[in-house]
Amino acid sequence: MKKKLWSMSFNSATLVLIPAAIGINYLGKLFAGLLKLPLWLDSIGTCIAAVLAGPIVGAICGAANNIIYGLTMDPISTIYALTNIGIGIAVGILAHKGFMKNIKGAILTGLVVGVVAVIISTPLNIIFWGGTTGNIWGDALYAWCASQGMPVWISSGLDELVVDVPDKLAVVLIVFAIMKGLPKNLVSLFHSDEEIENLDHTDELK
Amino acid sequence: MASLNIEHLKYKYPGTDRLALNDISLSIETGEFIGIIGRNESGKSSLCQAIAGLIPNFYKGAYGGKVLIDDIEVKKVPVDELCETVGTVFQNPFNQVTGAKATVYEEIAFGLENMGVPKEEMIRRIDRAMELLDISKYRDRYPFDLSGGQMQRMAIAGVIAMHPQVIILDEPTSQLDPQGREEVFQAVQKLCGQGITIILVEHNMEKIAQYSNRVALLDAGTLIDFDTPQKIFSRVDLEQYGVEAPVYTQIGKRLNLTIEDTGCYPVTLEEAKTVLLRKGGNDPVWL
Amino acid sequence: MKTISLYVDKGTMLNKIAPESKIWYVIAAITIPALMGTRWAGIVLIAVSAALLLYGKVLKRTLPLLAVSGFVLLTVLIIQGMFWWGNETPLFALGPAVFYREGVNYALGILINIINILMSFCVLILTTKPSDMMENFVRRGFSPRFGYVFISVFQIIPQMTETMSTITDAQRSRGMETEGSLAVRIKAFIPLIAPVIMSSLINTKERALALEVRGFNSRKKKTFLNDEVKTAGDRYIQIALPVLIIAAAVWRVTQWLA
Repeated sequence: MKKKLWSMSFNSATLVLIPAAIGINYLGKLFAGLLKLPLWLDSIGTCIAAVLAGPIVGAICGAANNIIYGLTMDPISTIYALTNIGIGIAVGILAHKGFMKNIKGAILTGLVVGVVAVIISTPLNIIFWGGTTGNIWGDALYAWCASQGMPVWISSGLDELVVDVPDKLAVVLIVFAIMKGLPKNLVSLFHSDEEIENLDHTDELK
Repeated sequence: MASLNIEHLKYKYPGTDRLALNDISLSIETGEFIGIIGRNESGKSSLCQAIAGLIPNFYKGAYGGKVLIDDIEVKKVPVDELCETVGTVFQNPFNQVTGAKATVYEEIAFGLENMGVPKEEMIRRIDRAMELLDISKYRDRYPFDLSGGQMQRMAIAGVIAMHPQVIILDEPTSQLDPQGREEVFQAVQKLCGQGITIILVEHNMEKIAQYSNRVALLDAGTLIDFDTPQKIFSRVDLEQYGVEAPVYTQIGKRLNLTIEDTGCYPVTLEEAKTVLLRKGGNDPVWL
Repeated sequence: MKTISLYVDKGTMLNKIAPESKIWYVIAAITIPALMGTRWAGIVLIAVSAALLLYGKVLKRTLPLLAVSGFVLLTVLIIQGMFWWGNETPLFALGPAVFYREGVNYALGILINIINILMSFCVLILTTKPSDMMENFVRRGFSPRFGYVFISVFQIIPQMTETMSTITDAQRSRGMETEGSLAVRIKAFIPLIAPVIMSSLINTKERALALEVRGFNSRKKKTFLNDEVKTAGDRYIQIALPVLIIAAAVWRVTQWLA
């Protein structure tokens, strides 16, 4: 993987990856809901895009994902684009550093991404919702912390943490499994800065 | 005047060691209908994509030799400029729907909008393309609601509207049901004789024999033969390349019936009829 | 036509004015109450949005969107009403649960803010065709390639959902359990979603190729088959709304200084 980490040149394959990734996010969320799983699983696509095409594309996926949710299902989710941008960047960087190559690295990535999500989401939760998340377990913890007189950022942070860290860990492990199964030649499509090698002997003499 | 010239074309996909195209040279005249045959992974799609400039400009990898259309060297022209010279239709019609347009009419406009074609000209070209592909009646339908055959004809219309000199159809019917296949072949037949050079990759040898002026037989990235369908399908070693000759040729081979002036076996129903009639006077030979 | 867009053409003025004007309205509706710092501004804007939605014949379609956040808003009211830090004065009690005046008041502020954001968004998204909005952006210089990426999502999601339901049916008919204990349900998730993920990733190649041969990366100036969505009044709306936002900011500053 010799792709430049912060490359801003996007080839067509990379651009087409973005809507596919957003679709995958949506399906993850849909199925987690249908199977009544206690997780969101709505960032699988963003993480796949970040692993395949780097942090910038991951960030774009995250942002576009929430803007489109905002325009179609839940306007408030638009603001959480910030969280998904953070997730995309974190996964992109860690994958580039080789963390997604083995299961240990993937678990570590999942934990880091979970913490990143908590750090970004908590202030947003406090500004827009007064600190709760709408998740029953998280909010129960919030209520308990609040009744113990803990400051709002701790209660809210813990509320987000108990939901986000397991969720992101599951997401990254799913992404890890999917990456293992992808054909190798597909992966090279998303590297925009590769050069064309010359097979003409006449040109070599020049 | 040859319109399409391929000179010593070699190509390796990134991260592979095998030459997907190994020193291919051939030339094609304007308006010819060329069939490309060979087993899976023999280099048919790679050859198509090299003519369309997608190899090497989309895939990168290692490249040698030249593909020239008139005097344009495709490697040196970005794909987005080349698409007004060479048009490509792919296997899966579903993947060719842009997903950004609400009607068939708008869908066909996609390429023209990108190329900056003025609106009046755009409307003229779309109407003409829809007529040619016989999809005018689906004008206001939602692209994803079409059947496979209709969708594939819409994809061809989108490519034809760009007015290319060469159009490549890479297994355009392999994902379709029998009815969809027939629809697409009828559309392809209509395209013949429009003065466009057509290159068709197809597993149905009857169709290849029916339409092609010449056929390129590929195996393991090398060009085994490039000749008339009669010559190609009369080869005794055909099965070695994973190709089964058209049923008329097989009958000809079994019955040892050849066309008099070329010594080849018949490849189409018409030819088979002629040969049989000649052999048996006015009555078919078996009477 | 299958799309996740919530747009419906009701033929009202709201469908005809430029999408940019409606975006300015959303920005104004969110920033003006924030700048002025009074709840009344939020309440007035909720009323304005409701009037616009009624005029646009889409007020009823606003309800499902409000319902999405409704549940969360309810939990906000309960949790803050009972546990907010500043809670002192009991307001009422439901059995053992005591709600306090301060917490309920705080939650009410959140409620007004969220409902205002939701309703102003609805003015935009229920009356605007996403592709019209994006085409207008591209006309103003937004990248057509990214415009495509954005618009295609609206159609790709329903297509993927369809593929998904085919797979779900197939897996169920092969005897996969999708109900039962948590472990069973977790086990079901991967075989259900992995095939769609794989195929959509593999399809990106052909999709990208098909776009490239239709001039997707063209550097020529793009032309448009459809005419621009705009009216004569748009110019004035797009001046008036920014002026109102500035006025709100000025008002706030003078309040500070006074």
